[in-house]
Amino acid sequence: MLVVERDLRTFLRFKVLIIMRSIWFAAQVAFFGLIASRMVVPQLADIYFEYYVAGVVVMMLYSASVFIGYDIFEEAEHGVFEYLLSLPVSRRELVLGRSIGGGIRSFMLVGPLIAITLLVFGLANPLNFLIALSALFLFAFGVSGMSITIAVTLKSGDRFDIFMGALNALIVRLSTAMYPQAFVQQASLTYAEISRFNPVTFASDMFRWGTGIEKYLTVTPMPLAAILGLVLFFFAFTVVGVTFYEKRLEGGGWQ
Amino acid sequence: MSMIHTTDLTKRFKDLTAVDNLDLTIEKGEIFGLLGPNGAGKTTTVLMLTTVIKPSSGTAVVGGYDVRENPNDVRKLIGICFQEPKILWVSTPLDVLNWHAKVCGLSTQERKRRVKQVLEDVNMWDDRGKKVHDLSGGMKKRVEIAKVLIQRPRIAFIDEPTAQIDVVGKHKIWNMIRELRDEGSTIILATNELYEADVLSDRVGIMHKGKMLVCDTPKTLKDSIPGGDIVEIQLEKDVSKKILKDLTSFQEVVDLTVLTPNNIKVYLNKVEEIVPQIMELLVKKGVPVRSINMTEPSLDDVFIHYTGLTIEEAEQKSPSR
Repeated sequence: MLVVERDLRTFLRFKVLIIMRSIWFAAQVAFFGLIASRMVVPQLADIYFEYYVAGVVVMMLYSASVFIGYDIFEEAEHGVFEYLLSLPVSRRELVLGRSIGGGIRSFMLVGPLIAITLLVFGLANPLNFLIALSALFLFAFGVSGMSITIAVTLKSGDRFDIFMGALNALIVRLSTAMYPQAFVQQASLTYAEISRFNPVTFASDMFRWGTGIEKYLTVTPMPLAAILGLVLFFFAFTVVGVTFYEKRLEGGGWQ
Repeated sequence: MSMIHTTDLTKRFKDLTAVDNLDLTIEKGEIFGLLGPNGAGKTTTVLMLTTVIKPSSGTAVVGGYDVRENPNDVRKLIGICFQEPKILWVSTPLDVLNWHAKVCGLSTQERKRRVKQVLEDVNMWDDRGKKVHDLSGGMKKRVEIAKVLIQRPRIAFIDEPTAQIDVVGKHKIWNMIRELRDEGSTIILATNELYEADVLSDRVGIMHKGKMLVCDTPKTLKDSIPGGDIVEIQLEKDVSKKILKDLTSFQEVVDLTVLTPNNIKVYLNKVEEIVPQIMELLVKKGVPVRSINMTEPSLDDVFIHYTGLTIEEAEQKSPSR
Protein backbone atom coordinates (compact mmCIF):
# COMPACT_ATOMS: atom_id res chain seq x y z
CA MET A 1 0.00 0.00 0.00
CA LEU A 2 2.91 2.34 0.69
CA VAL A 3 4.17 1.83 -2.84
CA VAL A 4 0.69 2.73 -4.12
CA GLU A 5 0.62 5.79 -1.84
CA ARG A 6 3.95 6.96 -3.17
CA ASP A 7 2.82 6.71 -6.78
CA LEU A 8 -0.38 8.60 -6.04
CA ARG A 9 1.44 11.38 -4.19
CA THR A 10 3.95 11.71 -7.01
CA PHE A 11 1.18 11.81 -9.59
CA LEU A 12 -0.67 14.61 -7.78
CA ARG A 13 2.45 16.73 -7.99
CA PHE A 14 2.21 16.74 -11.79
CA LYS A 15 -0.63 19.27 -11.77
CA VAL A 16 0.15 20.61 -15.24
CA LEU A 17 -0.12 17.12 -16.69
CA ILE A 18 -3.51 16.58 -15.05
CA ILE A 19 -4.78 19.90 -16.42
CA MET A 20 -3.41 19.13 -19.91
CA ARG A 21 -5.07 15.73 -19.99
CA SER A 22 -8.39 17.21 -18.92
CA ILE A 23 -8.14 19.85 -21.65
CA TRP A 24 -7.36 17.09 -24.17
CA PHE A 25 -10.51 15.23 -23.12
CA ALA A 26 -12.66 18.35 -23.31
CA ALA A 27 -11.27 19.21 -26.77
CA GLN A 28 -11.80 15.66 -28.06
CA VAL A 29 -15.41 15.68 -26.93
CA ALA A 30 -16.37 19.30 -27.59
CA PHE A 31 -14.68 19.69 -30.98
CA PHE A 32 -13.70 16.38 -32.52
CA GLY A 33 -16.65 14.35 -31.21
CA LEU A 34 -19.28 16.93 -32.04
CA ILE A 35 -17.93 17.58 -35.52
CA ALA A 36 -17.15 13.94 -36.38
CA SER A 37 -20.63 12.82 -35.32
CA ARG A 38 -22.06 15.20 -37.91
CA MET A 39 -20.32 13.11 -40.58
CA VAL A 40 -22.60 10.11 -39.99
CA VAL A 41 -26.23 9.95 -41.10
CA PRO A 42 -28.29 12.55 -39.19
CA GLN A 43 -30.42 9.91 -37.40
CA LEU A 44 -27.26 8.41 -35.85
CA ALA A 45 -25.41 11.64 -35.07
CA ASP A 46 -26.36 11.81 -31.38
CA ILE A 47 -25.93 8.06 -30.94
CA TYR A 48 -22.47 8.18 -32.48
CA PHE A 49 -21.55 11.16 -30.31
CA GLU A 50 -22.42 9.13 -27.18
CA TYR A 51 -20.49 6.19 -28.59
CA TYR A 52 -17.52 8.43 -29.26
CA VAL A 53 -17.52 9.99 -25.77
CA ALA A 54 -17.49 6.53 -24.16
CA GLY A 55 -14.60 5.57 -26.45
CA VAL A 56 -12.62 8.67 -25.52
CA VAL A 57 -13.04 7.88 -21.82
CA VAL A 58 -11.52 4.42 -22.35
CA MET A 59 -8.75 5.80 -24.58
CA MET A 60 -7.90 8.28 -21.89
CA LEU A 61 -7.91 5.57 -19.24
CA TYR A 62 -5.51 3.59 -21.45
CA SER A 63 -3.10 6.47 -22.01
CA ALA A 64 -3.21 7.50 -18.33
CA SER A 65 -2.41 3.94 -17.25
CA VAL A 66 0.50 3.76 -19.68
CA PHE A 67 2.02 6.77 -17.95
CA ILE A 68 3.56 4.68 -15.14
CA GLY A 69 6.12 3.43 -17.69
CA TYR A 70 7.30 6.99 -18.30
CA ASP A 71 7.59 7.44 -14.53
CA ILE A 72 9.94 4.48 -14.44
CA PHE A 73 12.26 6.23 -16.89
CA GLU A 74 12.04 9.43 -14.91
CA GLU A 75 13.02 7.44 -11.81
CA ALA A 76 15.81 5.64 -13.63
CA GLU A 77 17.17 8.99 -14.77
CA HIS A 78 17.20 10.29 -11.19
CA GLY A 79 18.48 6.99 -9.81
CA VAL A 80 15.32 6.50 -7.74
CA PHE A 81 15.03 2.98 -9.09
CA GLU A 82 18.06 1.81 -7.15
CA TYR A 83 16.61 3.38 -4.03
CA LEU A 84 13.31 1.53 -4.49
CA LEU A 85 15.19 -1.73 -5.03
CA SER A 86 17.05 -1.27 -1.73
CA LEU A 87 13.89 -0.87 0.37
CA PRO A 88 12.51 -3.59 2.65
CA VAL A 89 9.86 -4.44 0.07
CA SER A 90 9.86 -7.58 -2.05
CA ARG A 91 10.09 -7.17 -5.82
CA ARG A 92 6.64 -8.73 -6.07
CA GLU A 93 5.12 -6.16 -3.70
CA LEU A 94 6.94 -3.41 -5.51
CA VAL A 95 5.66 -4.26 -8.99
CA LEU A 96 2.14 -5.03 -7.74
CA GLY A 97 2.07 -1.78 -5.80
CA ARG A 98 3.22 0.16 -8.83
CA SER A 99 0.79 -1.59 -11.13
CA ILE A 100 -2.12 -0.90 -8.79
CA GLY A 101 -0.88 2.62 -8.09
CA GLY A 102 -0.70 3.28 -11.83
CA GLY A 103 -4.24 1.97 -12.26
CA ILE A 104 -5.68 3.99 -9.37
CA ARG A 105 -4.09 7.23 -10.45
CA SER A 106 -5.40 6.82 -13.97
CA PHE A 107 -8.83 6.50 -12.38
CA MET A 108 -8.16 9.64 -10.37
CA LEU A 109 -7.66 11.38 -13.69
CA VAL A 110 -10.49 9.75 -15.60
CA GLY A 111 -12.93 9.37 -12.68
CA PRO A 112 -14.14 12.99 -12.73
CA LEU A 113 -14.56 12.78 -16.50
CA ILE A 114 -16.64 9.60 -16.15
CA ALA A 115 -18.75 11.39 -13.53
CA ILE A 116 -19.32 14.37 -15.84
CA THR A 117 -20.17 12.02 -18.71
CA LEU A 118 -22.73 10.19 -16.59
CA LEU A 119 -24.16 13.48 -15.37
CA VAL A 120 -24.74 14.58 -18.96
CA PHE A 121 -25.93 11.27 -20.44
CA GLY A 122 -27.45 9.65 -17.35
CA LEU A 123 -26.90 6.22 -15.80
CA ALA A 124 -29.16 3.34 -16.85
CA ASN A 125 -28.33 0.65 -14.27
CA PRO A 126 -26.17 1.19 -11.14
CA LEU A 127 -25.38 -2.53 -10.75
CA ASN A 128 -24.18 -2.82 -14.35
CA PHE A 129 -22.13 0.30 -13.77
CA LEU A 130 -20.40 -1.20 -10.72
CA ILE A 131 -19.55 -4.37 -12.67
CA ALA A 132 -18.22 -2.26 -15.54
CA LEU A 133 -16.22 -0.09 -13.18
CA SER A 134 -14.57 -3.15 -11.63
CA ALA A 135 -13.69 -4.41 -15.11
CA LEU A 136 -12.24 -1.01 -15.98
CA PHE A 137 -10.09 -1.16 -12.84
CA LEU A 138 -8.71 -4.49 -14.05
CA PHE A 139 -8.12 -2.91 -17.45
CA ALA A 140 -6.23 0.03 -15.90
CA PHE A 141 -4.10 -2.25 -13.66
CA GLY A 142 -3.39 -4.51 -16.65
CA VAL A 143 -2.31 -1.59 -18.84
CA SER A 144 -0.08 -0.28 -16.02
CA GLY A 145 1.44 -3.75 -15.68
CA MET A 146 1.96 -3.90 -19.44
CA SER A 147 3.61 -0.48 -19.42
CA ILE A 148 5.95 -1.47 -16.56
CA THR A 149 6.81 -4.73 -18.32
CA ILE A 150 7.66 -2.95 -21.58
CA ALA A 151 9.60 -0.20 -19.76
CA VAL A 152 11.85 -2.61 -17.84
CA THR A 153 12.30 -4.79 -20.90
CA LEU A 154 13.40 -1.99 -23.23
CA LYS A 155 15.34 -0.01 -20.58
CA SER A 156 15.53 2.97 -22.93
CA GLY A 157 13.29 6.02 -22.77
CA ASP A 158 13.56 6.66 -26.51
CA ARG A 159 12.79 3.06 -27.48
CA PHE A 160 9.90 3.00 -25.00
CA ASP A 161 8.49 6.20 -26.47
CA ILE A 162 8.63 4.84 -30.02
CA PHE A 163 7.29 1.42 -29.04
CA MET A 164 4.40 2.81 -27.02
CA GLY A 165 3.56 5.23 -29.82
CA ALA A 166 3.34 2.33 -32.27
CA LEU A 167 1.43 0.16 -29.79
CA ASN A 168 -0.98 2.97 -29.01
CA ALA A 169 -1.64 3.46 -32.72
CA LEU A 170 -2.40 -0.23 -33.16
CA ILE A 171 -4.20 -1.07 -29.93
CA VAL A 172 -6.49 1.96 -29.97
CA ARG A 173 -7.13 2.15 -33.72
CA LEU A 174 -7.70 -1.58 -34.06
CA SER A 175 -10.30 -1.55 -31.31
CA THR A 176 -13.98 -0.62 -31.16
CA ALA A 177 -13.30 2.44 -29.01
CA MET A 178 -13.98 4.81 -31.90
CA TYR A 179 -16.13 2.75 -34.29
CA PRO A 180 -18.58 -0.16 -33.82
CA GLN A 181 -17.53 -3.71 -34.59
CA ALA A 182 -19.91 -3.97 -37.54
CA PHE A 183 -18.14 -1.13 -39.36
CA VAL A 184 -14.69 -2.53 -38.60
CA GLN A 185 -15.84 -5.81 -40.12
CA GLN A 186 -17.04 -4.03 -43.25
CA ALA A 187 -13.62 -2.44 -43.65
CA SER A 188 -11.59 -5.61 -43.14
CA LEU A 189 -12.16 -9.04 -41.68
CA THR A 190 -8.58 -9.09 -40.37
CA TYR A 191 -9.10 -5.77 -38.58
CA ALA A 192 -12.33 -7.12 -37.13
CA GLU A 193 -10.64 -10.26 -35.79
CA ILE A 194 -7.86 -8.26 -34.16
CA SER A 195 -10.27 -5.75 -32.67
CA ARG A 196 -12.40 -8.55 -31.23
CA PHE A 197 -9.51 -9.67 -28.96
CA ASN A 198 -8.27 -6.23 -28.04
CA PRO A 199 -8.33 -5.11 -24.36
CA VAL A 200 -9.39 -1.62 -25.44
CA THR A 201 -12.39 -3.19 -27.17
CA PHE A 202 -13.19 -5.18 -24.03
CA ALA A 203 -12.96 -2.05 -21.87
CA SER A 204 -15.03 0.05 -24.30
CA ASP A 205 -17.73 -2.62 -24.54
CA MET A 206 -17.84 -2.93 -20.74
CA PHE A 207 -18.05 0.82 -20.25
CA ARG A 208 -20.88 1.25 -22.75
CA TRP A 209 -22.75 -1.74 -21.37
CA GLY A 210 -22.25 -0.73 -17.75
CA THR A 211 -23.19 2.89 -18.15
CA GLY A 212 -25.84 2.35 -20.78
CA ILE A 213 -24.56 5.52 -22.45
CA GLU A 214 -25.17 4.06 -25.87
CA LYS A 215 -27.45 1.11 -26.56
CA TYR A 216 -27.76 0.90 -30.32
CA LEU A 217 -24.31 0.43 -31.77
CA THR A 218 -22.78 -1.88 -29.12
CA VAL A 219 -23.08 -5.41 -30.43
CA THR A 220 -22.97 -7.59 -27.32
CA PRO A 221 -25.79 -7.09 -24.82
CA MET A 222 -23.88 -8.68 -21.91
CA PRO A 223 -20.13 -8.70 -22.76
CA LEU A 224 -19.02 -11.81 -20.88
CA ALA A 225 -16.13 -12.17 -23.31
CA ALA A 226 -15.02 -8.68 -22.39
CA ILE A 227 -15.05 -9.48 -18.66
CA LEU A 228 -13.11 -12.66 -19.22
CA GLY A 229 -10.70 -10.89 -21.58
CA LEU A 230 -9.98 -8.15 -19.05
CA VAL A 231 -9.46 -10.63 -16.21
CA LEU A 232 -6.97 -12.53 -18.36
CA PHE A 233 -5.29 -9.32 -19.47
CA PHE A 234 -4.87 -8.20 -15.85
CA PHE A 235 -3.47 -11.50 -14.62
CA ALA A 236 -1.18 -11.93 -17.61
CA PHE A 237 0.51 -8.57 -17.21
CA THR A 238 0.62 -8.68 -13.44
CA VAL A 239 2.40 -12.05 -13.49
CA VAL A 240 4.56 -11.14 -16.49
CA GLY A 241 5.28 -7.75 -14.95
CA VAL A 242 6.55 -9.28 -11.70
CA THR A 243 8.68 -11.83 -13.53
CA PHE A 244 10.26 -9.27 -15.85
CA TYR A 245 10.75 -6.80 -13.05
CA GLU A 246 12.61 -9.39 -11.00
CA LYS A 247 14.69 -10.74 -13.86
CA ARG A 248 15.55 -7.50 -15.58
CA LEU A 249 16.18 -5.30 -12.56
CA GLU A 250 17.49 -7.52 -9.81
CA GLY A 251 19.90 -8.98 -12.30
CA GLY A 252 21.78 -5.76 -12.67
CA GLY A 253 19.85 -2.69 -11.69
CA TRP A 254 19.07 -0.39 -14.58
CA GLN A 255 22.49 -0.85 -16.19
CA MET B 1 30.89 -11.44 15.42
CA SER B 2 30.88 -10.68 11.69
CA MET B 3 27.99 -8.71 10.25
CA ILE B 4 29.08 -8.96 6.64
CA HIS B 5 31.14 -11.65 5.02
CA THR B 6 31.86 -11.85 1.31
CA THR B 7 33.33 -14.77 -0.55
CA ASP B 8 34.80 -14.27 -4.03
CA LEU B 9 32.24 -11.55 -4.61
CA THR B 10 32.48 -10.51 -8.25
CA LYS B 11 30.54 -8.22 -10.54
CA ARG B 12 31.17 -7.97 -14.24
CA PHE B 13 29.62 -5.46 -16.63
CA LYS B 14 30.33 -6.88 -20.10
CA ASP B 15 34.15 -6.73 -20.42
CA LEU B 16 34.70 -4.77 -17.23
CA THR B 17 35.19 -6.52 -13.91
CA ALA B 18 33.98 -3.86 -11.47
CA VAL B 19 34.51 -6.04 -8.37
CA ASP B 20 36.99 -8.88 -8.57
CA ASN B 21 36.80 -11.83 -6.15
CA LEU B 22 36.29 -9.71 -3.06
CA ASP B 23 36.79 -11.45 0.28
CA LEU B 24 35.85 -9.23 3.15
CA THR B 25 34.65 -9.49 6.74
CA ILE B 26 33.05 -6.59 8.58
CA GLU B 27 32.50 -6.91 12.31
CA LYS B 28 29.36 -5.95 14.19
CA GLY B 29 29.31 -2.37 15.48
CA GLU B 30 32.30 -1.08 13.53
CA ILE B 31 32.62 1.74 11.05
CA PHE B 32 34.30 0.14 8.08
CA GLY B 33 35.77 2.55 5.58
CA LEU B 34 35.74 1.31 2.01
CA LEU B 35 38.34 3.54 0.49
CA GLY B 36 39.35 3.98 -3.11
CA PRO B 37 39.22 6.30 -6.08
CA ASN B 38 36.09 6.66 -8.20
CA GLY B 39 35.80 3.52 -10.30
CA ALA B 40 37.55 1.33 -7.72
CA GLY B 41 34.40 -0.79 -7.22
CA LYS B 42 33.17 0.63 -3.91
CA THR B 43 29.69 1.59 -5.06
CA THR B 44 29.25 -1.67 -6.99
CA THR B 45 30.22 -3.56 -3.82
CA VAL B 46 27.67 -1.57 -1.82
CA LEU B 47 24.98 -2.21 -4.44
CA MET B 48 25.63 -5.96 -4.29
CA LEU B 49 25.61 -6.02 -0.49
CA THR B 50 22.32 -4.12 -0.46
CA THR B 51 20.78 -6.55 -3.01
CA VAL B 52 20.19 -3.78 -5.54
CA ILE B 53 22.26 -5.73 -8.05
CA LYS B 54 23.13 -9.40 -8.14
CA PRO B 55 26.74 -10.60 -8.04
CA SER B 56 28.05 -12.20 -11.25
CA SER B 57 29.74 -14.82 -9.08
CA GLY B 58 30.59 -15.40 -5.44
CA THR B 59 28.27 -14.28 -2.69
CA ALA B 60 27.90 -12.29 0.50
CA VAL B 61 26.22 -12.93 3.81
CA VAL B 62 24.76 -9.76 5.31
CA GLY B 63 23.38 -9.91 8.86
CA GLY B 64 23.26 -13.70 8.59
CA TYR B 65 21.40 -13.76 5.28
CA ASP B 66 22.80 -14.63 1.87
CA VAL B 67 22.25 -11.79 -0.63
CA ARG B 68 21.45 -14.27 -3.39
CA GLU B 69 19.12 -16.57 -1.47
CA ASN B 70 17.43 -14.24 1.03
CA PRO B 71 17.51 -10.73 -0.47
CA ASN B 72 14.20 -9.77 1.17
CA ASP B 73 15.62 -10.59 4.62
CA VAL B 74 18.79 -8.63 3.88
CA ARG B 75 16.76 -5.57 2.90
CA LYS B 76 14.98 -5.60 6.25
CA LEU B 77 18.32 -5.03 8.01
CA ILE B 78 19.93 -2.41 5.84
CA GLY B 79 19.69 1.27 5.10
CA ILE B 80 21.57 3.04 2.36
CA CYS B 81 22.68 6.58 1.68
CA PHE B 82 23.52 6.66 -2.02
CA GLN B 83 26.45 8.54 -3.51
CA GLU B 84 24.08 10.54 -5.71
CA PRO B 85 20.85 11.52 -3.92
CA LYS B 86 18.04 9.32 -5.22
CA ILE B 87 15.12 11.67 -4.98
CA LEU B 88 12.48 12.55 -7.56
CA TRP B 89 12.63 16.26 -8.43
CA VAL B 90 8.94 16.91 -7.76
CA SER B 91 9.12 15.60 -4.16
CA THR B 92 9.86 17.63 -1.04
CA PRO B 93 12.36 16.60 1.68
CA LEU B 94 9.51 16.12 4.15
CA ASP B 95 7.59 13.84 1.77
CA VAL B 96 10.69 11.83 0.89
CA LEU B 97 11.66 11.24 4.52
CA ASN B 98 8.13 10.60 5.76
CA TRP B 99 7.56 7.95 3.14
CA HIS B 100 10.96 6.39 3.73
CA ALA B 101 10.25 6.18 7.47
CA LYS B 102 6.86 4.58 6.78
CA VAL B 103 8.35 1.95 4.45
CA CYS B 104 10.98 1.17 7.08
CA GLY B 105 8.19 0.42 9.55
CA LEU B 106 8.43 3.32 12.01
CA SER B 107 5.28 4.05 14.02
CA THR B 108 3.50 7.32 13.27
CA GLN B 109 4.63 8.98 16.49
CA GLU B 110 8.22 7.81 16.20
CA ARG B 111 8.31 8.73 12.52
CA LYS B 112 7.17 12.30 13.16
CA ARG B 113 9.63 12.70 16.01
CA ARG B 114 12.63 11.33 14.12
CA VAL B 115 11.88 13.12 10.85
CA LYS B 116 11.68 16.49 12.64
CA GLN B 117 14.75 15.77 14.74
CA VAL B 118 16.94 14.66 11.86
CA LEU B 119 15.76 17.43 9.52
CA GLU B 120 16.76 19.91 12.22
CA ASP B 121 20.08 18.14 12.78
CA VAL B 122 21.00 18.34 9.10
CA ASN B 123 19.76 21.95 8.88
CA MET B 124 16.94 21.12 6.49
CA TRP B 125 13.88 21.79 8.64
CA ASP B 126 13.28 25.26 7.19
CA ASP B 127 13.55 23.87 3.66
CA ARG B 128 11.42 20.78 4.27
CA GLY B 129 8.62 21.94 1.97
CA LYS B 130 10.79 22.99 -0.97
CA LYS B 131 10.78 20.89 -4.12
CA VAL B 132 13.94 18.81 -4.55
CA HIS B 133 14.39 20.57 -7.89
CA ASP B 134 15.03 23.82 -6.01
CA LEU B 135 17.59 22.38 -3.57
CA SER B 136 21.35 22.70 -3.96
CA GLY B 137 23.55 19.60 -4.36
CA GLY B 138 24.60 19.79 -0.71
CA MET B 139 20.99 20.06 0.48
CA LYS B 140 19.98 17.03 -1.58
CA LYS B 141 22.87 15.09 -0.07
CA ARG B 142 21.69 16.04 3.42
CA VAL B 143 18.23 14.70 2.61
CA GLU B 144 19.84 11.51 1.33
CA ILE B 145 21.82 10.93 4.51
CA ALA B 146 18.82 11.90 6.62
CA LYS B 147 17.09 8.73 5.32
CA VAL B 148 19.63 6.52 7.07
CA LEU B 149 19.72 8.66 10.20
CA ILE B 150 15.94 8.41 10.54
CA GLN B 151 15.85 4.71 9.76
CA ARG B 152 18.68 3.74 12.14
CA PRO B 153 19.19 0.38 10.43
CA ARG B 154 21.24 -2.47 11.86
CA ILE B 155 23.59 -2.13 8.90
CA ALA B 156 24.02 1.26 7.29
CA PHE B 157 25.73 1.72 3.93
CA ILE B 158 26.84 5.29 3.48
CA ASP B 159 28.34 6.19 0.12
CA GLU B 160 30.31 9.45 0.04
CA PRO B 161 28.41 10.93 3.01
CA THR B 162 29.79 14.44 2.84
CA ALA B 163 30.22 14.98 -0.90
CA GLN B 164 29.19 18.57 -1.74
CA ILE B 165 28.70 19.41 1.95
CA ASP B 166 30.46 22.35 3.59
CA VAL B 167 33.12 21.91 6.31
CA VAL B 168 30.79 22.63 9.26
CA GLY B 169 28.18 20.29 7.82
CA LYS B 170 30.82 17.59 7.34
CA HIS B 171 31.78 17.55 10.99
CA LYS B 172 28.14 17.48 12.03
CA ILE B 173 27.43 14.52 9.76
CA TRP B 174 30.55 12.69 10.96
CA ASN B 175 29.31 13.07 14.53
CA MET B 176 25.89 11.75 13.54
CA ILE B 177 27.51 8.74 11.87
CA ARG B 178 29.50 8.06 15.05
CA GLU B 179 26.29 8.34 17.12
CA LEU B 180 24.62 5.86 14.78
CA ARG B 181 27.49 3.43 15.38
CA ASP B 182 27.33 4.04 19.15
CA GLU B 183 23.64 3.12 19.07
CA GLY B 184 24.57 -0.28 17.65
CA SER B 185 24.58 0.06 13.88
CA THR B 186 27.34 -1.41 11.76
CA ILE B 187 28.41 1.18 9.23
CA ILE B 188 30.01 0.69 5.85
CA LEU B 189 31.39 3.98 4.69
CA ALA B 190 32.38 4.13 1.03
CA THR B 191 34.49 7.17 0.34
CA ASN B 192 37.31 8.55 -1.74
CA GLU B 193 38.05 11.18 0.91
CA LEU B 194 41.08 9.82 2.70
CA TYR B 195 40.81 12.15 5.67
CA GLU B 196 37.16 11.23 6.16
CA ALA B 197 38.00 7.53 6.15
CA ASP B 198 40.85 8.15 8.58
CA VAL B 199 38.87 10.10 11.18
CA LEU B 200 35.71 7.99 11.03
CA SER B 201 36.70 4.40 10.40
CA ASP B 202 37.58 1.71 12.90
CA ARG B 203 39.00 -0.26 9.99
CA VAL B 204 39.73 0.67 6.41
CA GLY B 205 39.78 -1.47 3.28
CA ILE B 206 41.53 0.04 0.28
CA MET B 207 40.06 -0.92 -3.09
CA HIS B 208 41.69 -0.41 -6.44
CA LYS B 209 40.54 -1.73 -9.81
CA GLY B 210 37.88 -3.90 -8.18
CA LYS B 211 40.28 -5.61 -5.80
CA MET B 212 40.78 -5.23 -2.07
CA LEU B 213 44.45 -4.32 -1.71
CA VAL B 214 44.72 -4.14 2.05
CA CYS B 215 42.43 -4.01 5.06
CA ASP B 216 43.20 -3.01 8.65
CA THR B 217 42.91 -0.20 11.20
CA PRO B 218 44.05 3.20 9.89
CA LYS B 219 46.91 3.18 12.41
CA THR B 220 48.17 -0.26 11.40
CA LEU B 221 47.96 0.69 7.74
CA LYS B 222 49.95 3.86 8.36
CA ASP B 223 52.49 1.95 10.44
CA SER B 224 52.82 -0.55 7.63
CA ILE B 225 54.58 2.03 5.45
CA PRO B 226 58.31 1.64 6.01
CA GLY B 227 59.61 4.98 7.34
CA GLY B 228 56.18 6.52 7.18
CA ASP B 229 56.67 8.75 10.23
CA ILE B 230 58.92 11.75 9.77
CA VAL B 231 60.65 13.48 12.69
CA GLU B 232 62.62 16.66 12.14
CA ILE B 233 64.98 17.42 15.03
CA GLN B 234 66.77 20.72 15.50
CA LEU B 235 69.70 20.51 17.94
CA GLU B 236 71.50 23.15 20.00
CA LYS B 237 74.84 22.05 18.51
CA ASP B 238 76.07 20.15 15.49
CA VAL B 239 75.38 16.47 15.36
CA SER B 240 78.30 14.05 15.41
CA LYS B 241 78.77 10.94 13.23
CA LYS B 242 78.57 8.83 16.39
CA ILE B 243 75.09 10.13 17.21
CA LEU B 244 73.97 9.57 13.65
CA LYS B 245 75.20 6.00 13.90
CA ASP B 246 73.35 5.53 17.23
CA LEU B 247 70.17 6.88 15.72
CA THR B 248 70.32 4.53 12.74
CA SER B 249 70.84 1.62 15.11
CA PHE B 250 67.17 1.82 16.13
CA GLN B 251 65.31 -0.92 14.33
CA GLU B 252 62.37 1.41 13.57
CA VAL B 253 64.54 4.07 11.93
CA VAL B 254 64.47 3.53 8.20
CA ASP B 255 66.40 6.50 6.91
CA LEU B 256 68.09 9.65 8.12
CA THR B 257 69.00 12.90 6.37
CA VAL B 258 71.23 15.68 7.71
CA LEU B 259 69.60 18.90 6.53
CA THR B 260 72.09 21.26 8.21
CA PRO B 261 74.85 20.38 10.70
CA ASN B 262 72.36 20.80 13.60
CA ASN B 263 69.17 19.78 11.81
CA ILE B 264 68.29 16.17 10.96
CA LYS B 265 65.28 14.46 9.41
CA VAL B 266 64.54 10.89 10.56
CA TYR B 267 62.22 8.54 8.66
CA LEU B 268 60.90 5.90 11.04
CA ASN B 269 58.00 3.77 12.21
CA LYS B 270 56.05 3.73 15.49
CA VAL B 271 56.91 7.35 16.17
CA GLU B 272 55.19 7.46 19.56
CA GLU B 273 57.42 4.65 20.89
CA ILE B 274 60.73 5.69 19.36
CA VAL B 275 60.78 9.45 19.84
CA PRO B 276 61.09 9.22 23.67
CA GLN B 277 64.02 6.83 23.22
CA ILE B 278 65.70 9.20 20.73
CA MET B 279 65.22 12.11 23.14
CA GLU B 280 66.72 10.08 25.96
CA LEU B 281 69.72 9.17 23.78
CA LEU B 282 70.36 12.77 22.76
CA VAL B 283 70.12 14.03 26.36
CA LYS B 284 72.43 11.23 27.53
CA LYS B 285 74.97 12.21 24.83
CA GLY B 286 74.80 15.85 25.92
CA VAL B 287 73.14 17.17 22.78
CA PRO B 288 70.21 19.40 23.84
CA VAL B 289 67.22 19.50 21.53
CA ARG B 290 65.99 22.95 20.40
CA SER B 291 62.83 21.75 18.66
CA ILE B 292 61.18 18.62 17.36
CA ASN B 293 58.55 18.33 14.65
CA MET B 294 56.69 15.10 13.92
CA THR B 295 54.67 14.27 10.81
CA GLU B 296 52.53 11.12 10.70
CA PRO B 297 51.75 9.44 7.40
CA SER B 298 48.21 9.82 6.13
CA LEU B 299 46.03 7.36 4.31
CA ASP B 300 47.14 9.18 1.14
CA ASP B 301 50.61 7.81 1.84
CA VAL B 302 49.14 4.36 2.47
CA PHE B 303 47.30 4.51 -0.86
CA ILE B 304 50.44 5.62 -2.67
CA HIS B 305 52.43 2.88 -0.97
CA TYR B 306 50.07 0.11 -2.08
CA THR B 307 49.16 1.37 -5.57
CA GLY B 308 52.13 3.49 -6.60
CA LEU B 309 49.60 6.21 -7.47
CA THR B 310 47.98 9.13 -5.73
CA ILE B 311 44.21 8.81 -5.42
CA GLU B 312 43.82 11.53 -8.08
CA GLU B 313 46.09 9.65 -10.50
CA ALA B 314 44.21 6.43 -9.80
CA GLU B 315 40.90 8.16 -10.57
CA GLN B 316 42.22 9.39 -13.89
CA LYS B 317 43.32 5.88 -14.81
CA SER B 318 40.17 4.11 -13.60
CA PRO B 319 37.97 2.51 -16.25
CA SER B 320 34.44 3.83 -16.64
CA ARG B 321 31.50 1.50 -16.91
